[in-house]
Amino acid sequence: MTRSSKIRSFAAVFVTAAIAAACGPSSAPSEALAADQTFRFGQTDDITTLDPAHVDSAADIVYVDEIFTGLYRFSNDLKILPSGATELPTISPDGKTWTFKLRKDMVFSNGDKITSADWVWSWTRTLRLNDAYASNLEVITGATDVEAGTATKLAGLSAPDAYTLVAKLDAPAGYWLTQLAMPTASMVLDQKVITAAGDDKWNLSAATLIGSGPFKMTQRTPKASMDFEPVKSWWGGDTGKLTKIHVDIGIDNASMVKKFESGGYEIVGEANNQVGPDDVLRYKADPVKNKLLTIYNGARTSGIGFNMVTGPFAQKPGATPGDVTVGGTDPGLDGRRAFSMAIDRVQLADIACAHAISCQPAFGGPITKGFKGYLGDTGDPYAKFDAAAALALYKKWDPTGSKVKGLEYRYNTAPANTKRAQNFQAQWKQNLGVDVKLVPSDFPTLQKDRKKKIVIIGRESWGIDYDHPQDWFDNLFTCAQAKIGRGNDEAYCNPAMDAITTAANAKPINDPTTVAEYVKAGTFLVNDVVWATTDYGTQPTITQSYFKGYGYNGLYDYHWESFRILQH
Amino acid sequence: MAIVVPTIVERPEEPFVIGADELPEQVTLWQDAWRRLKRNRVSVIGLVIIGVFVLVAIVSFFWTPYPIWRQALGPTYQGPTLIHPLGLDDYGRDILSRVMGGAGIALSVGVGASVIASLIGIVLGLTAGFYRGKIDTAISLLINISYGVPDLLLALILVVLVGRGIQNIILAISITAWLGMARLVRGQTLSLREREFVEAARSIGTKNLQILARHILPNALGPIIVQATYLVPAAIIFEAFLSFLGLGVPPPAPSWGAMASEGYKALQIAPHIVLMPCIALSLTVLAFNWVGDGLRDAIDPRMRK
Amino acid sequence: MSRGTLVYATQRLVLITFTAIVVSSIVFIGVHQLPGNALASERRLNPATEAALLHHYNLDLPWPQQYVLWLKGLAHGDLGESLVNMGQPITPLLLRELGVSVTLGIGAVLVTVVVGMSLGVLAAIRQNTWVDYVASTAAVIGYSVPSFVWAFLLILLTVTGFYAWSQGQIYEDIGWGKIEQIPVPAFALGLPYAAIVARLTRASMLEVIRQDYVRTAWAKGLSARVVILRHALRNALIPVATILGPLITGIITGSVVIEFLFGIPGLGKEFVTSILSRDYNIVIGVFTFYAALVGLANLIVDLLYPILDPRIRYGN
Repeated sequence: MTRSSKIRSFAAVFVTAAIAAACGPSSAPSEALAADQTFRFGQTDDITTLDPAHVDSAADIVYVDEIFTGLYRFSNDLKILPSGATELPTISPDGKTWTFKLRKDMVFSNGDKITSADWVWSWTRTLRLNDAYASNLEVITGATDVEAGTATKLAGLSAPDAYTLVAKLDAPAGYWLTQLAMPTASMVLDQKVITAAGDDKWNLSAATLIGSGPFKMTQRTPKASMDFEPVKSWWGGDTGKLTKIHVDIGIDNASMVKKFESGGYEIVGEANNQVGPDDVLRYKADPVKNKLLTIYNGARTSGIGFNMVTGPFAQKPGATPGDVTVGGTDPGLDGRRAFSMAIDRVQLADIACAHAISCQPAFGGPITKGFKGYLGDTGDPYAKFDAAAALALYKKWDPTGSKVKGLEYRYNTAPANTKRAQNFQAQWKQNLGVDVKLVPSDFPTLQKDRKKKIVIIGRESWGIDYDHPQDWFDNLFTCAQAKIGRGNDEAYCNPAMDAITTAANAKPINDPTTVAEYVKAGTFLVNDVVWATTDYGTQPTITQSYFKGYGYNGLYDYHWESFRILQH
Repeated sequence: MAIVVPTIVERPEEPFVIGADELPEQVTLWQDAWRRLKRNRVSVIGLVIIGVFVLVAIVSFFWTPYPIWRQALGPTYQGPTLIHPLGLDDYGRDILSRVMGGAGIALSVGVGASVIASLIGIVLGLTAGFYRGKIDTAISLLINISYGVPDLLLALILVVLVGRGIQNIILAISITAWLGMARLVRGQTLSLREREFVEAARSIGTKNLQILARHILPNALGPIIVQATYLVPAAIIFEAFLSFLGLGVPPPAPSWGAMASEGYKALQIAPHIVLMPCIALSLTVLAFNWVGDGLRDAIDPRMRK
Repeated sequence: MSRGTLVYATQRLVLITFTAIVVSSIVFIGVHQLPGNALASERRLNPATEAALLHHYNLDLPWPQQYVLWLKGLAHGDLGESLVNMGQPITPLLLRELGVSVTLGIGAVLVTVVVGMSLGVLAAIRQNTWVDYVASTAAVIGYSVPSFVWAFLLILLTVTGFYAWSQGQIYEDIGWGKIEQIPVPAFALGLPYAAIVARLTRASMLEVIRQDYVRTAWAKGLSARVVILRHALRNALIPVATILGPLITGIITGSVVIEFLFGIPGLGKEFVTSILSRDYNIVIGVFTFYAALVGLANLIVDLLYPILDPRIRYGN
C-alpha cells in the first residue's frame, strides 16, 4: 500500500466509524451487558390496531415504528434520515414533482423483496382506507379521488422502474418530507400477505403481521401480552442489543409501578404509559428513587373540546359536520368562554399533575409551548382564570340553567385524566354552580365517539408529530377534517381560517412570515374557544438504573435499537 | 344474595314457631329475645357503632365541616391537622366530611337495598310457600335460574343499561339480593302452614290473606329480621365493590369504596387517604354482622332457658 | 354413580343450559335496545365500506333476526366477533381467560376450605380459650373487611414489603403466567370466605362435640378423641358443602376486583373492560360463560353431597 492510500484507507475507516457512531446504536465499550437482554414493560389498554393505514394512537405507533419502515425515518433526535429511500428526494423547481430512489436490498421479514410496485400498492391502499393519517399522502395528485372511492389508481404516483418512485403534487408542500418520515401511513406493506390473510385480519396475528422494520412480532395474546424480536440480518443495519421485547397488556398504572419496583419491568413510561401523578410525587420525595425519575418535555397539549354542531355549546347548531357555509350567530360562544374562564389552570396543574411536575398550566393556545405556532404566554384570552367574569358570562348565557342540564364530560381513564376530570367538575361547581356528570371510558371508545361527533364536551389532547403548525391545523381544525370519521372532533369549520393556513402551508417553514400567519390562524381558535386548552404535558418516566438507551424527544420514544440492559 | 351472608338461619325446616296455645307468651318472647341481645356484649358494641354511624349519616345530609366536593382546601395529600382532623385527600378535599358523606351513602344503600330485597323476597316466599302448586314451581324455577347468575355481574349490566345514580344502584342490588330471603320465607311458610293453629284458623273460615298476615308472617318474623340485618352489610360491601370498579355512585359522591380506590394509588405516600374509608367500611360491616349474630342467637329457641 | 344420580345430573345439565341461554338472551336483547351501534370503526369514510362493516356484524338486520343468527352461532360454540378489535373471535379469547380465572378460582377455593376448616377446627377444639376467642374474632373481621382491602394489604406486604426486607429475594410478581403468581391473589380472593367457613366449621364441630356421649368418650383419651374428631370433621363438611355453591359464585364476583389489582388476564377483568369499552358482543359472551360456569359449579357441589352425607340420595 502506498503512503497516500494508507492514509486514505485509514481515513475511510475513521469516517466509517464516525458515521457508524452517529447513525447506528452504540454502547460504551466498557459496559457490561446482562446475559438476558429481554426488555419488559406493561400497558393499560390493548392496542387498537397495528395496521399502518389505520394506526392513530401514540401508544400503537411505537410498535408500528419498529415493525414497518417508510421512505424516511426520524432519528432519535428528530433528524430526518433516509430509510427505504437511499437519499433525500429530488424535487423539481416548481416543487410539484418529487423523485425518490429506493434501496435495492430491502426485504420484508419473511424474505419477500420490496420494489417500487409495493410502495405504490401500499400508498394506494392507505388512501383507499382513508383513515387517520391518510392525510399524509393527500398532497399527491388524485389522492382525494382514491379516498372518495371514485378512483382505484393513484393518478399522481408512478414507478418508472423497480427502484424509482415519482410523485406529482397538486401544489408545493414543504412539510411533505416531514410527513413521510412519520411512522404511520406511508409505510410499505407486503401485498401478498395482506391479500392472502385478509385486509382486516392480517395485522391481528404475529404470523401475518409482516413488515420491513428492524423488529417483528413473535407472539400476541389479545388483551394479555405481546412479544417482539429483532429481525436477523436486517437490511437497515444493526438492530441493537435487545433479544426480546415483552409487553404485558391490561395492567393498571399503579400495579405497573409496583411491578417495576420488584424488578419486573425495565421502565414505566414507554409507549405513552405515563407514571401517574401519585407515584411521581412519591419518586420525587425519595432521594434514591428520584434518580430513576425523568421528566421529559412532552409535546402534548390537553384541553376541553366543545362540540360545534350539536349541543348547548354549538357554534352552528344542527349544521352538517364539514359544511363550509359560513355565517350565523354563535349561540354557544358565551358558554364556551365562561366554562374556560372558570377553570383555574394553576390549581388544575397542582392537583392533576403532581404539583405541576407532569404538566404545566396552558395559557398560550393549543400549540404546545416551545413549538412553532405557540401564541405566547398570554396568548389565550380565555385561559386566564376569572371566576367573577365567568359566572357573569355564564348567567347571561344560561339564566335558567336549562342549557347545562344533564351535561356530561367524557374522558378516558388514565390516572391524570381522572384527576383532571374531577377537578374540572369541582371547579365548575364552585365557580359556576353547574353540576357536570363525569363519564369515563377507555381511549378507543372515546376516540370512536369523538370521531362520530357525538361528544358534547370532553377531553381533547394532541401530541404533535413534528414541529410545524401544519400538523395541528390540517389534522385537527380544518373543514375537511370536520367530516364524520375524521380528526376534527369538534367539527369546527371556519373557511377564513382554512384560507390562511392553506396559504401558509405552501410556504417554506424557514420563511419568517410563515409562523406569523399560523399565529393569526391560531387566534381564531382561542377567540372561538374551540378547545379550552388546560395544560401542556410532560412525560414522566421511571427507568431502572441498569436500563440504558431510553429517551424521549418530545414526540417519540427512542428506537428499541438504542436500548440495552446492563448487568445488575 | 350470594356473597358474604355468613350463616343463614341454620335450620329453615324448623321454624321459629309459636303455636296458638303459646300466643299469650308472645310478648314475653320478644322481651326475652331483647334481654338476651342486651347481654351479648359484642352485639351491644355493634349497636352502638351503628347508632353512631346513623347519627353521622343523618347529620351529613344537612351539614359537613366542608363541602364534600370542594377541592384545593389545602395542600394535597396533607395528613391530619387541627382544621382537617382526618387530613386531605389527593385533590385537597376534606376527608372527614367525605367519610361522613360516605356513611350516608353506605347506610342509604345498605338499608334501602335490604328493605326492598326483603319485601320482594317476603312476598314471593309467602306466595310460593302458601299456595304451592304451579305458582310455587314457577317461583322456585325463577329462584333457581337467578341463582345461576352471579349477582355482581347482573348488577353491573343493570348499572350500565340504566345508568349510575344511587336509586339505580339500590335497585340493582335489590334485584339480586331477594333470593335468599325468598328461599327462607318459603321454607318457613311451608312448615308453618301445616301447623294446628293454621288449620284451626282455616276451619273457622279465616281468609287466606288474613292467615298469612296474622299467623304465618308474625311467626316467621324472627328469622326474617335476622336475614334482613345480614343483608345490610352485604349490600354495603356490594356497593363498595361497584364504586371500586368505578361503576358505583358517580363522583363526586364520597362512597367509601370510591375513596378507597382513589386512595390506593397514593398508598405509599399518604396512607391516611385509603385508611379512613377502609376503617369506616369495615367497622360498619362488622357492627352489622355482630348485631345480626346477636339477633340470631337471641331468637334461637334452643337457647332459651 | 347410581341411576338416580345420573338422571338428576342430566336434569340439572338441561337446566343449566336453559339458564345460560335465557340469561344471555336477556342480555342480548337488552343490549340491542340501546340507541346507536357500538361499531368498531367509524374511521371509515367510504359509505360502501361502512355498509360492508355493518353487514359484517349483521347489525343491518332487525334485532330478532340477529338474535336467531346468534343462537345458531351459539349452537356451534361461536360467540361472534369483538366489536372493538375487528377480526378477533370471542370464543377462543374467553376460553383462554376462563382457564386463567378457573385456575385462580380453584386456588381460592383451596385457600377457603383448607384455611377456613383448619381455623374452625382449631377454634372448636380449644373452645372458650383465648385461641378460640382470637380465631372467632379474626373470622368475623375476615368477612367484614371487603376483599379489596385485604388485597391492598397483601399487595403492600408482598410486593413492596417483602421485596425490601428480603432485599429482592422474596416478592409477589404482579401478573400471570408462573405458578408462583397464583398463591397471593388466591389468598386475597379466598380470605373472606375462609372466615365464613371457619365459623361454620367451628359451629358444626361444636354441635358434635357437645353431645353427652361424646363428652364421655372424649374423657376416655387420645385414641377415642381421634375417632371423634374424624367423625366431627366429616360432619362439619356438610354445612361447608352447603355453602360451597354461593361461595363459588362469590369467588367469581370477587375475582373481578382481584384480577384487576393483580394484573391477571382473566374473565372478570375482561368483563369490566368490555363493559367500559362497550364491546357488547364480548359482554354477552362473558355472561353466557358465567351462567354456564356457575351452574356447573353448583352441579358439581350438589353431586358431591351424597359422598359427604350418605343420607342424601337423588332420584326416587
